[in-house]
Amino acid sequence: MTQIVPLNKDAHRSLKVDGRASAAYGDNRHFVQVIVNEFAQLVVRYPILFSKHPGTGRLYCGAMLGFDEGENLFLEEWRQRESYRPLALQRMPFYAHGPEIGIDLDHPRVGAESGQPLFDRAGRPSRYLQGIIWAFQDLGPGIETTNAFIARLLELKLIEPIDIEVELDDGTRHQCAGLYTINQDILAKLPDAVVVELFRRGYLMLIHFMIASLKQLPLLAHRKNSRLLEATSHVAGLRT
Amino acid sequence: MQAVRAVVIVGGGTAGWLTAGIIAARHQARMKAGGLSVTLIESPDIRIIGVGEGTWPTMRASLERMGVSETELFRQCDAAFKQGGKFARWTTGAEDDAYYHPLMVPQGFSQLNLVPHWVREGGARSFCDFVTPQGRLCDEGLAPKTITHGEYRGLANYSYHLDAGKFAPFLARHCTEKLGVRHVLADVVQVNQHQSGDIESVLTRQAGEIFGDLFIDCSGFSALLIGKTLGVGFKECGDVLFCDTALATQVPFDAPDAPMASQTISTAQEAGWVWDICLPTRRGVGYVYSSRHQSEESARETLRRYIGPGHQELPVRKIPIRAGHRATFWKRNCVAVGLASGFLEPLESSAIVLVELSAKLLAEQMPACREVMDIVARRFNEVTMYRFGRIVDFLKLHYVLTKRTDTAFWRDNVDPATVPERLRDLLTLWKYQSPWFFDEFDRLEEVFPAASYQYVLYGMGFQTRVVPEDTADGQMLASRLVRQNERLTDEMCTRLPKNRELLTKIHEHGLQSI
Repeated sequence: MTQIVPLNKDAHRSLKVDGRASAAYGDNRHFVQVIVNEFAQLVVRYPILFSKHPGTGRLYCGAMLGFDEGENLFLEEWRQRESYRPLALQRMPFYAHGPEIGIDLDHPRVGAESGQPLFDRAGRPSRYLQGIIWAFQDLGPGIETTNAFIARLLELKLIEPIDIEVELDDGTRHQCAGLYTINQDILAKLPDAVVVELFRRGYLMLIHFMIASLKQLPLLAHRKNSRLLEATSHVAGLRT
Repeated sequence: MQAVRAVVIVGGGTAGWLTAGIIAARHQARMKAGGLSVTLIESPDIRIIGVGEGTWPTMRASLERMGVSETELFRQCDAAFKQGGKFARWTTGAEDDAYYHPLMVPQGFSQLNLVPHWVREGGARSFCDFVTPQGRLCDEGLAPKTITHGEYRGLANYSYHLDAGKFAPFLARHCTEKLGVRHVLADVVQVNQHQSGDIESVLTRQAGEIFGDLFIDCSGFSALLIGKTLGVGFKECGDVLFCDTALATQVPFDAPDAPMASQTISTAQEAGWVWDICLPTRRGVGYVYSSRHQSEESARETLRRYIGPGHQELPVRKIPIRAGHRATFWKRNCVAVGLASGFLEPLESSAIVLVELSAKLLAEQMPACREVMDIVARRFNEVTMYRFGRIVDFLKLHYVLTKRTDTAFWRDNVDPATVPERLRDLLTLWKYQSPWFFDEFDRLEEVFPAASYQYVLYGMGFQTRVVPEDTADGQMLASRLVRQNERLTDEMCTRLPKNRELLTKIHEHGLQSI
């Protein structure tokens, strides 16, 4: 259940929220929606791909965090703040509520003893909340920019399905269906005028971020293999 | 050399616009370079017949090639999914007598013929359920795809039910705005011929004289060019297919969100059968019957009984069906497509698919000049004659397998004298072997492939003798295919949304182009 109410400095003065990365709080996701503003930070860690919203079929951009449902191979690094955590997860349990920020009072992050305060005694936003406010300043327009970017790519037929199949060291094969990437053949044949248009709108850079991010796929598989190795080491009693 | 540069289509129904679109899409480069023009002349006041509300999956490829948006098709033509036909009360006439002719071919169809294995299993499951998930999908009211499947893609094979009255204008807009087809709204008052007999031009009341190198007659039953001008005769098929009249109506849903069947339901009656097709906004229902076996008054009563109480005042349109086709389809520089070429009862939605196949053949084989036209015409005639013949056979198959003896209509239908010789031979052959590859249906573009015959034959309880030793070799593969089909059925039943639910979503969100 969710119960989203507008954030209020009086009503929520003493409320504590645990914003840290945790599987128990919903960070156990293998694919998470991202916006184009985040691409530069994402590209150094994650494959950036397109997927379709199951309810509407609409395309969105996402960062791949693992191969199986619920598998996030970056949780530990997020806890240590070593890797960039996408805004869609960073901002939890806050939501856009019209022009304001809303909070889901039923979210397990809310009211946790381990949490941080949202306001100081004077009612000013805490550093944590200030970060959330900045996140929303990026998110709102960022989603629209991202949708416009996707719409233009679709018009130009620049998006194509990608079959990702990874074979892991334990012999299992993982197929990831329903993912899309940039069609590089069509990109290479775009007329000059369109290339300039894409460049001026900042899209060409985003396109190249997405293409470059595909190189993160083998690294992601490597990450998964290391986990498997750790797990088997445990079983074999090699580590204490 | 007398080059073919101007194609003139007379008639603007589904046949005219589909033909225009298919030809124009195939020849865009020539049209843009000015080497070919496609003109469609449509009478401003003749109402289109709009018989075809059911299509075949070929329509997806045709529309995709024309560059039509599937989302817009759903939104503007009241289109819905079609996953096959359900035939009720055709075999015994009992309340629970029904079988499916789905659009998916049997699992592993190109690798193995599953019929003997189904026979050996003893037929505990219906043949359809043994080889494909699609009957189950229809039973459960599921759509063939999800909202995340791009346009023209899906999990299960599908085609469309659509409002033909909206489909033709929809295609017209696309053809004129996107494909460069010239649209002339005018009545043809005279057809001018060369001394050779070729058609030189048509004179219109509103737009003067229009010249052409190749004329396509899509003028419907009136067959203005092929019949009236060129005098090509009509070959009746009423001695094989008795139905000669249709009473058509439209039935509103009780609620706007009422469940929708994605199969055409054909229910056998005393002297014919009732079609029942779901569009998002209404059901199209009609009774196709033999006026030799039932009076119009009684037929209207049959239709009323089928529709049930609460809808007594629905307007009913009477449409005559003259079962048959032209003696030849391409004569001199004139080709007949659509109703002008012939018409057979819509039991298997063969009308529109035949238009597509003819238009595609025409587009692919477009003669470069008058000098080679007769060569192309001979081929076209041979193929189209073959197709009409096979459709007649296939439609008759539904009647000849009946065990009903309750009325003269059904008794007369099994009279061997009314069964085409080729079909009689096949039925004899099929007692000992089932239709598959290496049968006669080996053309590149069969209207009804061997799989369709399998569904009807074994849906209606036809007995093929199977020698146990013959199934030994394929046993392993057969078990695997059957298991695959069971898995696929479960997976599809879990993943697929309800038919109505997906259509509502498509109207709201649209389908993605990829």
